[in-house]
Amino acid sequence: MQPALLLDLVVGGLITGGLYALVALGLNLQYGLMRVLNVAHGEFLMLGGYLTYTLHTSWGVNPLLTVLVTGPAAFGAGLGLHRLLYARVLEAGESAEALEARSLLLSFGLLFVLQNAALLLWSADLRGYSYLAVPLRFLGAVFPANRVLAAAVALFLSVAFYLFLKRSLAGKAIRALMQDPEGAQLVGVDLRRTHARCFGVGVAMATVAGSLVSMLFELTPFIGLPYTVTALVVVILGGLGNLLGSLVAALILGLVETFSVHLAASDIRLIASYAVLSLILILKPSGLLGR
Amino acid sequence: MLVGGLVLAGVAAPALLSPYLRSLALAILADVVLAVSWSLFSGPTRYLSLATGAFWGAGAYLTAVVGGRAPWPVPVLLGGAVGAGIALMVGGLALRLRGPYFAIFTFGLAELAKHALIWYETGVTGTVGRLLLTQPRPATLYYTVLALAALAVTTAVLLRRSRWGYALVAIGGDEERAETLGINTMAVKIATFALSAAFMGAAGAAMAPRWTYLDPQVFNPLVSFQTVIMALLGGVGTVAGPIVGAVFLGLASELLLLNFRYVYLLGLGLTLIVVVLALPSGLAGLWTIMLSRRQQEHRGA
Repeated sequence: MQPALLLDLVVGGLITGGLYALVALGLNLQYGLMRVLNVAHGEFLMLGGYLTYTLHTSWGVNPLLTVLVTGPAAFGAGLGLHRLLYARVLEAGESAEALEARSLLLSFGLLFVLQNAALLLWSADLRGYSYLAVPLRFLGAVFPANRVLAAAVALFLSVAFYLFLKRSLAGKAIRALMQDPEGAQLVGVDLRRTHARCFGVGVAMATVAGSLVSMLFELTPFIGLPYTVTALVVVILGGLGNLLGSLVAALILGLVETFSVHLAASDIRLIASYAVLSLILILKPSGLLGR
Repeated sequence: MLVGGLVLAGVAAPALLSPYLRSLALAILADVVLAVSWSLFSGPTRYLSLATGAFWGAGAYLTAVVGGRAPWPVPVLLGGAVGAGIALMVGGLALRLRGPYFAIFTFGLAELAKHALIWYETGVTGTVGRLLLTQPRPATLYYTVLALAALAVTTAVLLRRSRWGYALVAIGGDEERAETLGINTMAVKIATFALSAAFMGAAGAAMAPRWTYLDPQVFNPLVSFQTVIMALLGGVGTVAGPIVGAVFLGLASELLLLNFRYVYLLGLGLTLIVVVLALPSGLAGLWTIMLSRRQQEHRGA
Protein backbone atom coordinates (compact mmCIF):
# COMPACT_ATOMS: atom_id res chain seq x y z
CA MET A 1 0.00 0.00 0.00
CA GLN A 2 1.35 3.43 -0.91
CA PRO A 3 2.06 5.80 1.97
CA ALA A 4 -0.24 8.46 0.53
CA LEU A 5 -3.13 6.01 0.29
CA LEU A 6 -2.43 4.70 3.77
CA LEU A 7 -2.46 8.22 5.17
CA ASP A 8 -5.64 8.87 3.23
CA LEU A 9 -7.35 5.87 4.81
CA VAL A 10 -6.05 6.50 8.33
CA VAL A 11 -7.10 10.14 8.42
CA GLY A 12 -10.38 9.24 6.72
CA GLY A 13 -10.99 6.61 9.38
CA LEU A 14 -10.21 9.00 12.20
CA ILE A 15 -12.59 11.56 10.71
CA THR A 16 -15.41 9.00 10.62
CA GLY A 17 -14.43 7.76 14.08
CA GLY A 18 -14.49 11.28 15.54
CA LEU A 19 -18.14 11.69 14.60
CA TYR A 20 -18.96 8.23 15.93
CA ALA A 21 -17.27 9.12 19.21
CA LEU A 22 -19.52 12.10 19.81
CA VAL A 23 -22.67 10.12 18.96
CA ALA A 24 -21.65 7.11 21.06
CA LEU A 25 -20.57 9.14 24.10
CA GLY A 26 -24.06 10.59 24.48
CA LEU A 27 -25.67 7.16 24.23
CA ASN A 28 -23.24 5.65 26.70
CA LEU A 29 -23.67 8.49 29.18
CA GLN A 30 -27.42 7.89 29.22
CA TYR A 31 -27.08 4.16 29.62
CA GLY A 32 -24.22 4.18 32.08
CA LEU A 33 -25.92 6.64 34.38
CA MET A 34 -29.61 5.80 34.25
CA ARG A 35 -29.90 2.46 32.43
CA VAL A 36 -31.79 4.10 29.59
CA LEU A 37 -30.83 2.46 26.31
CA ASN A 38 -32.02 5.29 24.12
CA VAL A 39 -32.65 3.80 20.68
CA ALA A 40 -34.08 7.17 19.61
CA HIS A 41 -30.57 8.62 19.92
CA GLY A 42 -29.99 8.67 16.17
CA GLU A 43 -33.31 10.48 15.68
CA PHE A 44 -31.94 13.45 17.61
CA LEU A 45 -28.95 13.42 15.26
CA MET A 46 -31.38 13.49 12.33
CA LEU A 47 -33.34 16.39 13.89
CA GLY A 48 -30.10 18.29 14.52
CA GLY A 49 -29.25 17.90 10.86
CA TYR A 50 -32.63 19.24 9.76
CA LEU A 51 -32.49 22.12 12.22
CA THR A 52 -29.11 23.19 10.84
CA TYR A 53 -30.35 22.70 7.29
CA THR A 54 -33.37 24.92 7.97
CA LEU A 55 -31.37 27.62 9.77
CA HIS A 56 -28.76 27.66 7.00
CA THR A 57 -31.04 27.60 3.96
CA SER A 58 -33.81 29.84 5.33
CA TRP A 59 -31.84 32.40 7.32
CA GLY A 60 -28.36 31.97 5.93
CA VAL A 61 -26.81 31.14 9.29
CA ASN A 62 -23.32 29.66 9.07
CA PRO A 63 -23.76 25.87 9.57
CA LEU A 64 -20.99 25.68 12.14
CA LEU A 65 -22.54 28.48 14.22
CA THR A 66 -25.93 26.72 14.25
CA VAL A 67 -24.35 24.40 16.80
CA LEU A 68 -24.77 27.25 19.28
CA VAL A 69 -28.53 26.98 18.70
CA THR A 70 -29.04 23.25 18.17
CA GLY A 71 -26.93 22.23 21.18
CA PRO A 72 -28.77 24.30 23.84
CA ALA A 73 -32.17 23.63 22.22
CA ALA A 74 -31.50 19.89 22.36
CA PHE A 75 -30.32 20.16 25.96
CA GLY A 76 -33.62 21.81 26.88
CA ALA A 77 -35.60 19.21 24.96
CA GLY A 78 -33.65 16.49 26.75
CA LEU A 79 -34.49 17.98 30.15
CA GLY A 80 -38.16 18.06 29.18
CA LEU A 81 -38.18 14.50 27.87
CA HIS A 82 -36.44 13.23 30.94
CA ARG A 83 -38.98 14.85 33.21
CA LEU A 84 -41.95 13.83 31.08
CA LEU A 85 -40.95 10.23 30.34
CA TYR A 86 -37.88 8.71 31.90
CA ALA A 87 -38.04 10.23 35.37
CA ARG A 88 -41.49 8.71 35.83
CA VAL A 89 -40.27 5.22 34.96
CA LEU A 90 -37.21 5.68 37.13
CA GLU A 91 -39.24 6.81 40.10
CA ALA A 92 -41.67 3.90 39.88
CA GLY A 93 -39.02 2.09 41.93
CA GLU A 94 -39.03 -1.22 40.09
CA SER A 95 -36.26 -3.77 39.68
CA ALA A 96 -33.38 -2.74 37.42
CA GLU A 97 -34.54 -5.23 34.82
CA ALA A 98 -38.11 -3.97 34.57
CA LEU A 99 -36.79 -0.42 34.49
CA GLU A 100 -34.48 -1.15 31.56
CA ALA A 101 -37.27 -2.88 29.65
CA ARG A 102 -39.70 -0.02 30.15
CA SER A 103 -37.26 2.72 29.26
CA LEU A 104 -36.24 0.77 26.16
CA LEU A 105 -39.89 0.61 25.08
CA LEU A 106 -40.25 4.35 25.74
CA SER A 107 -37.26 5.02 23.49
CA PHE A 108 -38.76 2.92 20.72
CA GLY A 109 -41.97 4.93 21.02
CA LEU A 110 -39.94 8.13 20.84
CA LEU A 111 -38.15 6.85 17.74
CA PHE A 112 -41.46 6.38 15.93
CA VAL A 113 -42.75 9.78 17.02
CA LEU A 114 -39.64 11.73 16.03
CA GLN A 115 -39.01 10.00 12.73
CA ASN A 116 -42.57 10.37 11.53
CA ALA A 117 -42.83 13.95 12.75
CA ALA A 118 -39.76 14.68 10.62
CA LEU A 119 -41.39 12.91 7.66
CA LEU A 120 -44.51 15.06 8.06
CA LEU A 121 -42.43 18.23 8.36
CA TRP A 122 -39.72 17.71 5.76
CA SER A 123 -41.00 14.77 3.62
CA ALA A 124 -38.81 11.84 2.61
CA ASP A 125 -36.91 13.83 -0.07
CA LEU A 126 -33.16 14.25 0.16
CA ARG A 127 -32.16 17.61 1.65
CA GLY A 128 -28.70 19.05 1.60
CA TYR A 129 -26.50 22.07 1.04
CA SER A 130 -22.89 22.62 0.16
CA TYR A 131 -20.54 24.04 2.77
CA LEU A 132 -16.74 24.28 2.68
CA ALA A 133 -16.49 21.65 -0.03
CA VAL A 134 -12.91 22.66 -0.80
CA PRO A 135 -9.95 20.30 -0.89
CA LEU A 136 -7.41 20.44 1.90
CA ARG A 137 -3.95 19.11 1.02
CA PHE A 138 -1.94 17.38 3.69
CA LEU A 139 1.30 15.42 3.07
CA GLY A 140 0.25 14.47 -0.43
CA ALA A 141 -3.25 13.32 0.52
CA VAL A 142 -6.39 15.37 -0.11
CA PHE A 143 -9.35 15.77 2.26
CA PRO A 144 -12.54 17.81 1.96
CA ALA A 145 -12.26 20.73 4.40
CA ASN A 146 -15.79 20.24 5.76
CA ARG A 147 -15.07 16.69 6.89
CA VAL A 148 -11.87 17.70 8.64
CA LEU A 149 -13.70 20.56 10.35
CA ALA A 150 -16.64 18.38 11.44
CA ALA A 151 -14.35 15.69 12.82
CA ALA A 152 -12.22 18.25 14.63
CA VAL A 153 -15.26 19.78 16.33
CA ALA A 154 -16.65 16.35 17.23
CA LEU A 155 -13.36 15.12 18.65
CA PHE A 156 -12.83 18.39 20.54
CA LEU A 157 -16.26 18.09 22.17
CA SER A 158 -15.74 14.41 22.99
CA VAL A 159 -12.37 14.96 24.62
CA ALA A 160 -13.60 18.08 26.40
CA PHE A 161 -16.50 16.15 27.89
CA TYR A 162 -14.23 13.35 28.93
CA LEU A 163 -11.90 15.79 30.69
CA PHE A 164 -14.90 17.46 32.32
CA LEU A 165 -15.90 14.09 33.74
CA LYS A 166 -12.39 13.35 34.96
CA ARG A 167 -11.35 16.74 36.29
CA SER A 168 -14.34 18.76 37.48
CA LEU A 169 -16.36 18.34 40.65
CA ALA A 170 -19.60 17.96 38.68
CA GLY A 171 -17.93 15.28 36.59
CA LYS A 172 -16.84 13.53 39.74
CA ALA A 173 -20.44 13.57 40.98
CA ILE A 174 -21.60 11.96 37.73
CA ARG A 175 -18.96 9.25 37.97
CA ALA A 176 -19.89 8.65 41.59
CA LEU A 177 -23.54 8.17 40.61
CA MET A 178 -22.49 5.68 37.93
CA GLN A 179 -20.46 3.64 40.39
CA ASP A 180 -22.69 3.73 43.43
CA PRO A 181 -25.99 5.62 43.27
CA GLU A 182 -26.77 5.23 46.97
CA GLY A 183 -23.34 6.22 48.19
CA ALA A 184 -23.27 9.25 45.91
CA GLN A 185 -26.64 10.41 47.21
CA LEU A 186 -25.43 9.98 50.78
CA VAL A 187 -22.66 12.49 50.16
CA GLY A 188 -25.13 14.96 48.69
CA VAL A 189 -25.28 14.35 44.93
CA ASP A 190 -28.72 15.28 43.61
CA LEU A 191 -29.72 12.17 41.65
CA ARG A 192 -32.70 13.59 39.88
CA ARG A 193 -31.06 16.80 38.75
CA THR A 194 -27.89 15.03 37.61
CA HIS A 195 -29.91 12.47 35.66
CA ALA A 196 -31.92 15.16 33.92
CA ARG A 197 -28.84 17.18 32.99
CA CYS A 198 -26.93 14.17 31.73
CA PHE A 199 -29.87 13.07 29.65
CA GLY A 200 -29.95 16.58 28.21
CA VAL A 201 -26.22 16.50 27.50
CA GLY A 202 -26.60 13.11 25.76
CA VAL A 203 -29.37 14.44 23.53
CA ALA A 204 -27.34 17.59 22.83
CA MET A 205 -24.33 15.51 21.75
CA ALA A 206 -26.41 13.59 19.21
CA THR A 207 -28.01 16.79 17.93
CA VAL A 208 -24.71 18.62 17.54
CA ALA A 209 -23.31 15.59 15.74
CA GLY A 210 -26.33 15.85 13.44
CA SER A 211 -25.55 19.51 12.72
CA LEU A 212 -22.04 18.43 11.75
CA VAL A 213 -23.29 15.49 9.65
CA SER A 214 -25.57 17.83 7.68
CA MET A 215 -22.47 19.68 6.43
CA LEU A 216 -21.18 16.43 4.90
CA PHE A 217 -24.09 14.31 3.68
CA GLU A 218 -27.61 14.78 2.39
CA LEU A 219 -30.39 14.25 4.92
CA THR A 220 -33.46 12.05 5.00
CA PRO A 221 -35.64 11.32 8.04
CA PHE A 222 -34.25 7.77 7.95
CA ILE A 223 -30.57 8.53 8.65
CA GLY A 224 -31.04 8.21 12.41
CA LEU A 225 -31.30 4.46 12.91
CA PRO A 226 -28.00 3.52 11.18
CA TYR A 227 -26.22 5.98 13.49
CA THR A 228 -27.98 4.48 16.50
CA VAL A 229 -26.81 1.03 15.45
CA THR A 230 -23.25 2.26 14.93
CA ALA A 231 -23.33 3.97 18.31
CA LEU A 232 -24.63 0.76 19.90
CA VAL A 233 -21.78 -1.18 18.31
CA VAL A 234 -19.29 1.37 19.64
CA VAL A 235 -20.82 1.44 23.12
CA ILE A 236 -20.97 -2.34 23.39
CA LEU A 237 -17.46 -2.66 21.93
CA GLY A 238 -16.09 -0.25 24.49
CA GLY A 239 -18.25 -1.54 27.33
CA LEU A 240 -21.56 -0.13 28.57
CA GLY A 241 -20.90 2.70 30.97
CA ASN A 242 -17.23 2.93 30.01
CA LEU A 243 -16.82 6.35 28.37
CA LEU A 244 -13.11 6.12 27.57
CA GLY A 245 -13.83 2.71 26.04
CA SER A 246 -16.39 4.36 23.75
CA LEU A 247 -13.92 7.01 22.66
CA VAL A 248 -11.28 4.42 21.71
CA ALA A 249 -13.80 2.01 20.18
CA ALA A 250 -15.29 4.78 18.00
CA LEU A 251 -11.90 5.58 16.49
CA ILE A 252 -11.15 1.88 15.94
CA LEU A 253 -14.53 1.33 14.30
CA GLY A 254 -14.00 4.37 12.06
CA LEU A 255 -10.66 2.96 10.90
CA VAL A 256 -11.98 -0.57 10.40
CA GLU A 257 -14.91 0.74 8.39
CA THR A 258 -12.84 2.98 6.15
CA PHE A 259 -10.40 0.17 5.40
CA SER A 260 -13.09 -2.45 4.79
CA VAL A 261 -15.05 -0.17 2.48
CA HIS A 262 -11.81 0.49 0.58
CA LEU A 263 -10.91 -3.20 0.39
CA ALA A 264 -14.37 -4.72 -0.14
CA ALA A 265 -17.54 -2.91 -1.17
CA SER A 266 -19.63 -0.30 0.58
CA ASP A 267 -22.87 -2.29 0.61
CA ILE A 268 -21.27 -4.77 2.99
CA ARG A 269 -21.03 -2.05 5.67
CA LEU A 270 -24.46 -2.55 7.25
CA ILE A 271 -24.15 -6.33 7.21
CA ALA A 272 -20.75 -6.00 8.87
CA SER A 273 -21.96 -3.70 11.64
CA TYR A 274 -24.97 -5.88 12.50
CA ALA A 275 -22.78 -8.98 12.42
CA VAL A 276 -20.19 -7.35 14.69
CA LEU A 277 -22.97 -6.25 17.05
CA SER A 278 -24.40 -9.77 17.29
CA LEU A 279 -21.01 -11.38 17.74
CA ILE A 280 -19.90 -9.08 20.55
CA LEU A 281 -23.21 -9.51 22.36
CA ILE A 282 -22.77 -13.26 22.27
CA LEU A 283 -19.06 -13.52 22.92
CA LYS A 284 -18.37 -10.72 25.36
CA PRO A 285 -21.40 -8.74 26.55
CA SER A 286 -19.23 -6.69 28.91
CA GLY A 287 -17.45 -5.13 25.91
CA LEU A 288 -14.03 -5.74 24.43
CA LEU A 289 -12.44 -3.22 26.76
CA GLY A 290 -14.75 -4.06 29.65
CA ARG A 291 -13.70 -5.59 32.93
CA MET B 1 -70.99 -18.82 24.71
CA LEU B 2 -68.98 -15.76 23.74
CA VAL B 3 -66.26 -18.03 22.39
CA GLY B 4 -68.80 -20.09 20.44
CA GLY B 5 -70.28 -16.94 18.92
CA LEU B 6 -66.85 -15.68 17.91
CA VAL B 7 -65.96 -18.99 16.27
CA LEU B 8 -69.29 -19.06 14.41
CA ALA B 9 -68.82 -15.49 13.22
CA GLY B 10 -65.27 -16.29 12.14
CA VAL B 11 -66.34 -19.34 10.15
CA ALA B 12 -69.34 -17.66 8.52
CA ALA B 13 -67.48 -14.42 7.71
CA PRO B 14 -66.27 -15.15 4.13
CA ALA B 15 -69.83 -15.89 2.99
CA LEU B 16 -71.26 -12.73 4.55
CA LEU B 17 -68.57 -10.11 4.06
CA SER B 18 -67.66 -8.06 1.00
CA PRO B 19 -64.18 -8.76 -0.45
CA TYR B 20 -62.80 -5.64 1.21
CA LEU B 21 -64.11 -6.53 4.66
CA ARG B 22 -62.94 -10.10 4.23
CA SER B 23 -59.44 -8.93 3.46
CA LEU B 24 -59.60 -6.64 6.50
CA ALA B 25 -60.70 -9.60 8.65
CA LEU B 26 -57.82 -11.64 7.19
CA ALA B 27 -55.27 -8.98 8.15
CA ILE B 28 -56.64 -8.71 11.67
CA LEU B 29 -56.60 -12.48 12.11
CA ALA B 30 -52.94 -12.53 11.08
CA ASP B 31 -52.27 -9.80 13.65
CA VAL B 32 -54.04 -11.93 16.26
CA VAL B 33 -51.73 -14.85 15.44
CA LEU B 34 -48.65 -12.62 15.82
CA ALA B 35 -49.74 -10.89 19.03
CA VAL B 36 -50.92 -14.09 20.72
CA SER B 37 -47.85 -16.10 19.76
CA TRP B 38 -45.54 -13.23 20.81
CA SER B 39 -47.23 -13.11 24.22
CA LEU B 40 -46.90 -16.87 24.49
CA PHE B 41 -43.17 -16.47 25.04
CA SER B 42 -42.47 -12.82 25.86
CA GLY B 43 -45.50 -12.35 28.13
CA PRO B 44 -44.62 -14.65 31.04
CA THR B 45 -40.81 -14.69 30.60
CA ARG B 46 -40.49 -10.92 30.04
CA TYR B 47 -37.88 -11.49 27.34
CA LEU B 48 -38.62 -8.64 24.94
CA SER B 49 -38.31 -10.25 21.50
CA LEU B 50 -37.99 -8.04 18.42
CA ALA B 51 -37.44 -10.99 16.10
CA THR B 52 -41.10 -11.30 15.01
CA GLY B 53 -40.37 -9.59 11.71
CA ALA B 54 -37.59 -12.08 10.97
CA PHE B 55 -39.76 -15.18 11.52
CA TRP B 56 -42.67 -13.61 9.65
CA GLY B 57 -40.35 -12.58 6.80
CA ALA B 58 -38.75 -16.01 6.59
CA GLY B 59 -42.17 -17.63 6.28
CA ALA B 60 -43.37 -15.16 3.67
CA TYR B 61 -40.18 -15.42 1.64
CA LEU B 62 -40.39 -19.18 1.75
CA THR B 63 -43.85 -19.10 0.19
CA ALA B 64 -42.47 -16.81 -2.52
CA VAL B 65 -39.57 -19.16 -3.25
CA VAL B 66 -41.63 -22.36 -3.17
CA GLY B 67 -44.29 -20.55 -5.19
CA GLY B 68 -46.78 -22.72 -6.99
CA ARG B 69 -44.59 -25.80 -6.86
CA ALA B 70 -46.24 -27.17 -3.72
CA PRO B 71 -49.97 -27.64 -3.01
CA TRP B 72 -51.45 -25.02 -0.67
CA PRO B 73 -51.12 -25.89 2.96
CA VAL B 74 -47.55 -27.12 2.39
CA PRO B 75 -45.93 -23.64 2.29
CA VAL B 76 -47.69 -22.75 5.56
CA LEU B 77 -46.40 -25.89 7.28
CA LEU B 78 -42.93 -25.27 5.86
CA GLY B 79 -43.11 -21.64 7.03
CA GLY B 80 -43.86 -22.82 10.54
CA ALA B 81 -40.99 -25.30 10.38
CA VAL B 82 -38.58 -22.63 9.13
CA GLY B 83 -39.64 -20.19 11.87
CA ALA B 84 -39.16 -22.83 14.54
CA GLY B 85 -35.89 -23.95 12.97
CA ILE B 86 -34.38 -20.45 13.02
CA ALA B 87 -35.57 -19.96 16.60
CA LEU B 88 -33.96 -23.23 17.66
CA MET B 89 -30.70 -22.26 15.97
CA VAL B 90 -30.36 -18.76 17.43
CA GLY B 91 -32.29 -19.40 20.64
CA GLY B 92 -29.42 -21.16 22.36
CA LEU B 93 -27.24 -18.10 21.87
CA ALA B 94 -29.80 -15.32 22.15
CA LEU B 95 -31.55 -16.61 25.25
CA ARG B 96 -28.38 -16.39 27.31
CA LEU B 97 -28.77 -12.62 27.07
CA ARG B 98 -31.09 -10.72 29.35
CA GLY B 99 -32.83 -7.36 29.40
CA PRO B 100 -32.06 -4.85 26.66
CA TYR B 101 -29.25 -7.05 25.31
CA PHE B 102 -31.77 -9.66 24.23
CA ALA B 103 -34.04 -7.05 22.65
CA ILE B 104 -31.17 -5.42 20.74
CA PHE B 105 -29.79 -8.80 19.67
CA THR B 106 -33.11 -9.98 18.24
CA PHE B 107 -33.58 -6.65 16.49
CA GLY B 108 -30.06 -6.83 15.03
CA LEU B 109 -30.67 -10.39 13.93
CA ALA B 110 -33.75 -9.45 11.91
CA GLU B 111 -31.88 -6.58 10.24
CA LEU B 112 -28.88 -8.82 9.59
CA ALA B 113 -31.12 -11.40 7.93
CA LYS B 114 -32.71 -8.74 5.75
CA HIS B 115 -29.47 -7.14 4.59
CA ALA B 116 -27.81 -10.52 4.02
CA LEU B 117 -30.79 -11.61 1.91
CA ILE B 118 -30.72 -8.38 -0.13
CA TRP B 119 -26.98 -8.86 -0.67
CA TYR B 120 -27.48 -12.50 -1.65
CA GLU B 121 -30.38 -11.82 -4.00
CA THR B 122 -28.71 -8.93 -5.83
CA GLY B 123 -25.22 -10.40 -5.83
CA VAL B 124 -25.79 -14.12 -6.38
CA THR B 125 -29.22 -14.75 -7.88
CA GLY B 126 -29.45 -11.35 -9.57
CA THR B 127 -33.03 -10.64 -8.51
CA VAL B 128 -34.36 -8.15 -5.99
CA GLY B 129 -37.71 -9.78 -5.52
CA ARG B 130 -39.98 -12.60 -6.47
CA LEU B 131 -43.36 -12.78 -8.15
CA LEU B 132 -46.14 -14.90 -6.71
CA LEU B 133 -48.20 -15.92 -9.68
CA THR B 134 -50.30 -18.87 -8.51
CA GLN B 135 -52.45 -18.07 -5.54
CA PRO B 136 -54.95 -20.03 -3.48
CA ARG B 137 -58.57 -18.90 -3.47
CA PRO B 138 -59.38 -16.04 -1.05
CA ALA B 139 -61.65 -18.27 1.04
CA THR B 140 -58.89 -20.89 1.36
CA LEU B 141 -56.48 -18.19 2.52
CA TYR B 142 -59.00 -16.90 5.03
CA TYR B 143 -59.69 -20.29 6.56
CA THR B 144 -55.97 -21.05 6.76
CA VAL B 145 -55.30 -17.93 8.81
CA LEU B 146 -58.46 -18.47 10.87
CA ALA B 147 -57.24 -21.97 11.71
CA LEU B 148 -53.83 -20.58 12.67
CA ALA B 149 -55.43 -17.99 14.93
CA ALA B 150 -57.65 -20.61 16.59
CA LEU B 151 -54.63 -22.87 17.07
CA ALA B 152 -52.55 -20.05 18.56
CA VAL B 153 -55.30 -19.05 21.00
CA THR B 154 -55.92 -22.66 22.02
CA THR B 155 -52.20 -23.18 22.57
CA ALA B 156 -52.04 -20.03 24.69
CA VAL B 157 -55.00 -21.14 26.84
CA LEU B 158 -53.64 -24.66 27.34
CA LEU B 159 -50.09 -23.46 27.99
CA ARG B 160 -51.16 -21.07 30.75
CA ARG B 161 -52.66 -23.90 32.78
CA SER B 162 -49.85 -26.39 32.25
CA ARG B 163 -46.68 -27.04 34.26
CA TRP B 164 -44.82 -25.65 31.29
CA GLY B 165 -46.76 -22.38 31.60
CA TYR B 166 -45.97 -22.10 35.31
CA ALA B 167 -42.31 -22.73 34.52
CA LEU B 168 -42.38 -19.78 32.11
CA VAL B 169 -43.92 -17.52 34.75
CA ALA B 170 -41.26 -18.66 37.21
CA ILE B 171 -38.53 -17.77 34.71
CA GLY B 172 -40.04 -14.30 34.30
CA GLY B 173 -40.16 -13.84 38.07
CA ASP B 174 -36.66 -14.96 38.99
CA GLU B 175 -34.72 -17.08 36.56
CA GLU B 176 -32.06 -18.25 39.00
CA ARG B 177 -34.63 -19.35 41.54
CA ALA B 178 -36.54 -21.21 38.84
CA GLU B 179 -33.33 -23.01 37.92
CA THR B 180 -32.78 -23.94 41.57
CA LEU B 181 -36.31 -25.29 41.78
CA GLY B 182 -35.37 -27.84 39.15
CA ILE B 183 -36.68 -26.21 36.00
CA ASN B 184 -34.44 -26.69 32.98
CA THR B 185 -34.82 -22.99 32.15
CA MET B 186 -32.78 -23.05 28.92
CA ALA B 187 -34.81 -25.93 27.44
CA VAL B 188 -38.13 -24.35 28.44
CA LYS B 189 -37.11 -20.97 27.01
CA ILE B 190 -35.83 -22.36 23.71
CA ALA B 191 -38.83 -24.64 23.22
CA THR B 192 -41.31 -21.82 23.86
CA PHE B 193 -39.36 -19.37 21.71
CA ALA B 194 -39.47 -21.93 18.87
CA LEU B 195 -43.16 -22.64 19.39
CA SER B 196 -43.99 -18.95 19.16
CA ALA B 197 -41.70 -18.57 16.12
CA ALA B 198 -43.47 -21.48 14.39
CA PHE B 199 -46.75 -19.55 14.53
CA MET B 200 -45.06 -16.38 13.26
CA GLY B 201 -43.41 -18.21 10.36
CA ALA B 202 -46.66 -19.95 9.44
CA ALA B 203 -48.55 -16.65 9.57
CA GLY B 204 -45.98 -15.02 7.27
CA ALA B 205 -46.20 -17.93 4.85
CA ALA B 206 -49.99 -17.85 4.86
CA MET B 207 -50.18 -14.09 4.30
CA ALA B 208 -47.57 -13.95 1.52
CA PRO B 209 -50.06 -14.60 -1.31
CA ARG B 210 -51.73 -11.32 -0.37
CA TRP B 211 -48.92 -9.58 -2.20
CA THR B 212 -48.12 -10.61 -5.73
CA TYR B 213 -44.57 -9.34 -5.41
CA LEU B 214 -42.20 -10.00 -2.51
CA ASP B 215 -38.74 -8.64 -1.81
CA PRO B 216 -36.44 -8.86 1.25
CA GLN B 217 -38.12 -5.76 2.70
CA VAL B 218 -40.73 -8.22 3.98
CA PHE B 219 -38.28 -8.69 6.88
CA ASN B 220 -39.89 -5.57 8.23
CA PRO B 221 -38.90 -4.28 11.69
CA LEU B 222 -42.30 -2.56 11.78
CA VAL B 223 -43.92 -6.01 12.07
CA SER B 224 -41.81 -6.67 15.17
CA PHE B 225 -42.72 -3.37 16.79
CA GLN B 226 -46.37 -3.49 15.84
CA THR B 227 -46.64 -6.93 17.42
CA VAL B 228 -45.06 -5.76 20.67
CA ILE B 229 -47.34 -2.72 20.80
CA MET B 230 -50.45 -4.80 20.08
CA ALA B 231 -49.62 -7.25 22.84
CA LEU B 232 -48.72 -4.57 25.40
CA LEU B 233 -51.67 -2.37 24.50
CA GLY B 234 -54.06 -5.27 25.04
CA GLY B 235 -52.11 -6.55 28.03
CA VAL B 236 -49.99 -9.70 28.15
CA GLY B 237 -51.41 -10.84 31.49
CA THR B 238 -54.41 -12.51 29.84
CA VAL B 239 -55.05 -14.47 26.64
CA ALA B 240 -57.76 -12.00 25.65
CA GLY B 241 -55.38 -9.01 25.98
CA PRO B 242 -53.25 -9.56 22.86
CA ILE B 243 -56.41 -10.36 20.86
CA VAL B 244 -58.00 -7.07 21.89
CA GLY B 245 -54.78 -5.23 21.05
CA ALA B 246 -54.48 -6.93 17.67
CA VAL B 247 -58.06 -6.14 16.67
CA PHE B 248 -57.68 -2.53 17.81
CA LEU B 249 -54.35 -1.81 16.12
CA GLY B 250 -55.15 -4.06 13.16
CA LEU B 251 -58.20 -1.91 12.41
CA ALA B 252 -56.23 1.30 12.92
CA SER B 253 -53.37 0.23 10.69
CA GLU B 254 -55.69 -0.97 7.93
CA LEU B 255 -57.63 2.29 7.96
CA LEU B 256 -54.69 4.66 8.34
CA LEU B 257 -51.49 3.01 7.10
CA LEU B 258 -52.13 3.47 3.38
CA ASN B 259 -53.43 7.02 3.35
CA PHE B 260 -51.94 8.56 6.48
CA ARG B 261 -48.81 6.49 6.90
CA TYR B 262 -46.75 8.97 8.92
CA VAL B 263 -49.66 10.00 11.13
CA TYR B 264 -50.38 6.35 11.88
CA LEU B 265 -46.77 5.54 12.73
CA LEU B 266 -46.49 8.66 14.87
CA GLY B 267 -49.65 7.57 16.69
CA LEU B 268 -48.16 4.10 17.13
CA GLY B 269 -45.16 5.62 18.89
CA LEU B 270 -47.39 7.75 21.12
CA THR B 271 -49.51 4.69 21.93
CA LEU B 272 -46.43 2.80 23.03
CA ILE B 273 -45.31 5.67 25.26
CA VAL B 274 -48.76 6.04 26.86
CA VAL B 275 -49.09 2.29 27.43
CA VAL B 276 -45.67 2.09 29.08
CA LEU B 277 -46.30 5.10 31.30
CA ALA B 278 -49.98 4.79 32.16
CA LEU B 279 -51.31 1.36 31.25
CA PRO B 280 -48.76 -1.21 32.44
CA SER B 281 -51.29 -4.05 32.26
CA GLY B 282 -52.89 -2.91 29.01
CA LEU B 283 -56.52 -2.43 28.02
CA ALA B 284 -57.42 -5.83 29.47
CA GLY B 285 -55.94 -4.72 32.79
CA LEU B 286 -57.99 -1.54 32.64
CA TRP B 287 -61.11 -3.65 32.16
CA THR B 288 -60.27 -5.75 35.23
CA ILE B 289 -59.69 -2.62 37.30
CA MET B 290 -63.03 -1.17 36.22
CA LEU B 291 -64.83 -4.43 37.04
CA SER B 292 -63.36 -4.65 40.52
CA ARG B 293 -64.23 -0.99 41.15
CA ARG B 294 -67.80 -1.60 40.18
CA GLN B 295 -67.97 -4.61 42.46
CA GLN B 296 -66.63 -2.52 45.29
CA GLU B 297 -69.28 0.12 44.65
CA HIS B 298 -71.97 -2.57 44.72
CA ARG B 299 -70.66 -3.87 47.96
CA GLY B 300 -70.57 -0.37 49.39
CA ALA B 301 -74.18 0.35 48.36
